[in-house]
Amino acid sequence: MDYTSQNQKDKKQMLESIGVGNIDELFKSIPNHLKAKDLNISGGKTEQELLNYFLNIASKNKKLISFRGAGIYDHFIPSLVGEVVGRSEFWTAYTPYQAEASQGTLQVVFEYQSLICALTGMDTSNASLYDGATAAAEAALLALRVSSKNRILISSGVHPEYIQTVRTYLANSKAKIEIIPLSGNGRLDKKTVDSLIDDNTAVVVIQSPNYFGVVEDMDSLSSAIKSKNSLFVAIVNPLSLGVFKSPREYNADIAVGEGQVLGSSMSAGGATFGFMAVKKSLEWKMPGRIVGQTTDRDGKRGFVLTLQSREQHIRREKATSNICTNASLNALAACVFLSGWGNAGFSNLAETNISKARYAFTKIKSLDGFKAKFENETFFNEFVIETSKNIKKINKVLLKNNILGPLDLSNAGDGFKNCLLFCVTEQRTEAEIDSLVELLAKI
Amino acid sequence: MEKLLNELSSECQPAYGVECDVAINAQVPENLKRSIPLGLPSIAENDLLRHFTNLSRKNYALSTVFYPLGSCTMKYNPLINERIAGNDAFNNVHPYQPIETMQGVLEVMYELEKDLCEVAGMDTFSLQQAAGAHGEFAGLLVIAEYFKSIKQKRRKIIVPDSAHGTNPASAAFAGFEIVPLKSEPDGSVSLDKLKEVLTPEVAAMMLTVPNTLGIFEKSIDEVSKLVHDNGSLLYYDGANLNAVMGIVRPGDMGFDVMHINLHKTFSTPHGGGGPGSGPIGVKSFLEPFLPVPRVEKKKDKYVLNYKKSKSIGKLKAFFGNFPVILKAYAYVKALGGKGLKNVSEQAVLNANYMLAKFKDKVDVPAGDRCMHEFVLSPKTLLKNDIRTIDIAKRLLDYGYYAPTIYFPLIVDEAIMIEPTETESKETLDKFVNVVNKIILEESCQEPQKLKDAPINAPVRRLNEVEAARKPILKWE
Amino acid sequence: MNIPQDLLYTKTHEWVKIEGNKVKVGITDFAQHEITDVVHVELPEIGRDVKKEHPAAVIESVKSAFDIYAPVSGKIIETNNKVLGSPELVNSSPYEKGYLFAIEFSNEKELGDLLKADDYKKLI
Repeated sequence: MDYTSQNQKDKKQMLESIGVGNIDELFKSIPNHLKAKDLNISGGKTEQELLNYFLNIASKNKKLISFRGAGIYDHFIPSLVGEVVGRSEFWTAYTPYQAEASQGTLQVVFEYQSLICALTGMDTSNASLYDGATAAAEAALLALRVSSKNRILISSGVHPEYIQTVRTYLANSKAKIEIIPLSGNGRLDKKTVDSLIDDNTAVVVIQSPNYFGVVEDMDSLSSAIKSKNSLFVAIVNPLSLGVFKSPREYNADIAVGEGQVLGSSMSAGGATFGFMAVKKSLEWKMPGRIVGQTTDRDGKRGFVLTLQSREQHIRREKATSNICTNASLNALAACVFLSGWGNAGFSNLAETNISKARYAFTKIKSLDGFKAKFENETFFNEFVIETSKNIKKINKVLLKNNILGPLDLSNAGDGFKNCLLFCVTEQRTEAEIDSLVELLAKI
Repeated sequence: MEKLLNELSSECQPAYGVECDVAINAQVPENLKRSIPLGLPSIAENDLLRHFTNLSRKNYALSTVFYPLGSCTMKYNPLINERIAGNDAFNNVHPYQPIETMQGVLEVMYELEKDLCEVAGMDTFSLQQAAGAHGEFAGLLVIAEYFKSIKQKRRKIIVPDSAHGTNPASAAFAGFEIVPLKSEPDGSVSLDKLKEVLTPEVAAMMLTVPNTLGIFEKSIDEVSKLVHDNGSLLYYDGANLNAVMGIVRPGDMGFDVMHINLHKTFSTPHGGGGPGSGPIGVKSFLEPFLPVPRVEKKKDKYVLNYKKSKSIGKLKAFFGNFPVILKAYAYVKALGGKGLKNVSEQAVLNANYMLAKFKDKVDVPAGDRCMHEFVLSPKTLLKNDIRTIDIAKRLLDYGYYAPTIYFPLIVDEAIMIEPTETESKETLDKFVNVVNKIILEESCQEPQKLKDAPINAPVRRLNEVEAARKPILKWE
Repeated sequence: MNIPQDLLYTKTHEWVKIEGNKVKVGITDFAQHEITDVVHVELPEIGRDVKKEHPAAVIESVKSAFDIYAPVSGKIIETNNKVLGSPELVNSSPYEKGYLFAIEFSNEKELGDLLKADDYKKLI
């Protein structure tokens, strides 16, 4: 199968029109000594063979009941999401360069931007970025661009892979990155944050709920940041905003996060999308595509890519970012996902996560050998449990029962020896939680 | 005109709901609680389905029309790849699940890396990058780390003026200073000019082969020698790899680092602008600097290696855009080595066939042979204040997506056409006739038709100036 | 093309009006015409030091961005914030309502390098 459609007769005619005898002549400009040998790549499979080949590979992945989160989550995806994202008019289109021929994609992105603004309360959203980690890095870069300062403070409650990504992105810049430690209750202490911000601090990056599941007191942290005239980047779980305070309410300048929870499957951690929304004053400094509403010649509403002079295809080395596209199809999934809940339904979804996680939390912490790490803190759908049992054994036993157990936090820093990060979403049934608890009790 | 979601919103029963089978227990402290309305629409499933289906029909897509976008390689996206990637056994994998329970995922990554090495003549690949530009950025960071490791201060990157905009943007993003290099009229490298800018501070030169005018770089041997004699590295922008698979390999031409766009050459769908995937390939001396984790094979088991002390780190969370990687691998297994070579031959044949039909009628700044794409410059033919943009918009009326226009920057009124290998002769014939008719007949006899275009698209020409001057970026 | 006699000019199409120890700066009628519809303007911060022939502001159209260079060295003491909300003023009134910023110059000699109206006309 090579998906070409010319037959021999066509080919012959085409070569004649060009005025060459054979295809090799078309490659005359390539020096002979550089010409490749036959590629040693197996293939040539028919569609049916391919299907079976990949069914066999797929069978080497194990289907598990997940109590693990840490950045990627098992959430319910409504059928409508699959139906819309599966429409070839969306997935086989390209970046909407010709606006008049791309109104479907453009309106979807406009709706997506509106929904992200509704959720975060921020003024302006872009068309999406690659993922939550790169969105955090782009937010840090944005803050550096608008500030004449070069120090960046990042909470140690930010996902470790996000911190690594920020470090990679800023490796060759003048920025200095410092990590703010968490206090003993698993979240940031206002006084610590306050004492670390100096005159040269461009931006403070805080995640809530943080990597350890704890919801930060963003209000009080924000006042510390604002009193020193630094910018505030909030990394948030969009689903949690059905219950918890939105970035606008605590005066964040830039809100970013991972969009996988809004209708994308886990897929080994990608493809997902990252969202970014900012205050109005920062919109011309934002990276990435932005869609705007306008009118056509007949006065009819339509949509175009706009504020484009920020971008690489115009600004080249002076662009706000090198990013060329977004994660359009995943943003489409988010758009379809966010359209069908209504306010009450979306809050209920968030509340269901909280309720199920609390149900599991209460049961697990009362087991012998297990206790809450941060007893009195508020969490969304993840929490830390400290155990006196052998963690490897716990996860081995769970795996035997087709359960993906909690994440081992032994490597997450000094305070987290013997700690486990559990995640319970709306997908887990009462029965599944009960059987998890039963298995833990027997260890 | 399709309504917006907020205009569709009503008091109806919304499409989705969730039942909680444990008691709702979700009180949170007041200081953490949301107090502003969510502002989400409430719409029934039937209405949502119609809304999004109707929107989809306002797109010109590859599945409905010919999409001759130069440099974008809009080839057919095989349906079997979507079917394979739709399997829950891939979709439900958590990135942090034990590696022995995700061997299928790791096998796909490992094997695709190996096959990409063979296509590209590189020693190893990293699949973590989410797009071509992301790959460029990663490749340039690898170059920066390499020079740091050998304690050389090289802060400059040479970028030809015919390059894609992402090249200079990525280099600046990676902390380099850009040295622009003026190209010859056919987009190729001027060796004299290259010598002038090859100073000891140059870390690398970025090159697209074939270049953005569709011409193979005839002095690639000399370029490679000059760059390497200077102690600099050579970076291959893989945007145009579709022209040369199985014909010539970047690694054999002397390139040290490169990226591939899986969503171009390897047939994975563009998705309206992502998700894509931008693997980077390097020669072995640069392997220690690649992003972590690396997929390795130990005996019969695939493992993830995070312990690479010289690595540039992480470019994004987790491993890469796995579904895209999976679809690309399925494509490679459908074609095999022979099939991939046939792809490039056919792509080049299609482009040259179209070019042959244009060359006596419209100016072709790069001559009358090309690789997989070519650039027309209709400037001298255009009267009545008609410009390339008008031709592009008129093409929409004929049911085609427009080619890439005004790129490369070094060609006036450029129209850049890339047919790809998956279009039939009949499609190409029809398209050429339409373009020639627009340029040679309509633009002279009925210029107003071009100025008014499009009239058959879902909207007429849109006011981009007002959109930018008074931005409306969300529902009002 | 409107090129007022009483102003000075740069090769990069800025106009300069001397007012005591400061100069007002904008772009010429020729420049606004070439740029086409201005959609966005980025102005320097007040108090910023600028160097002659170095970028001080940015003017953007839908498809392009143009650096605007400081015609003389000195300190930015005034910016025309009206063009931020109404960038079209740069097109409709390049010499009046669409001016960009004022510089308190630090080296009077640099004024001698600026072009007279007739010389600028020859250039375009």
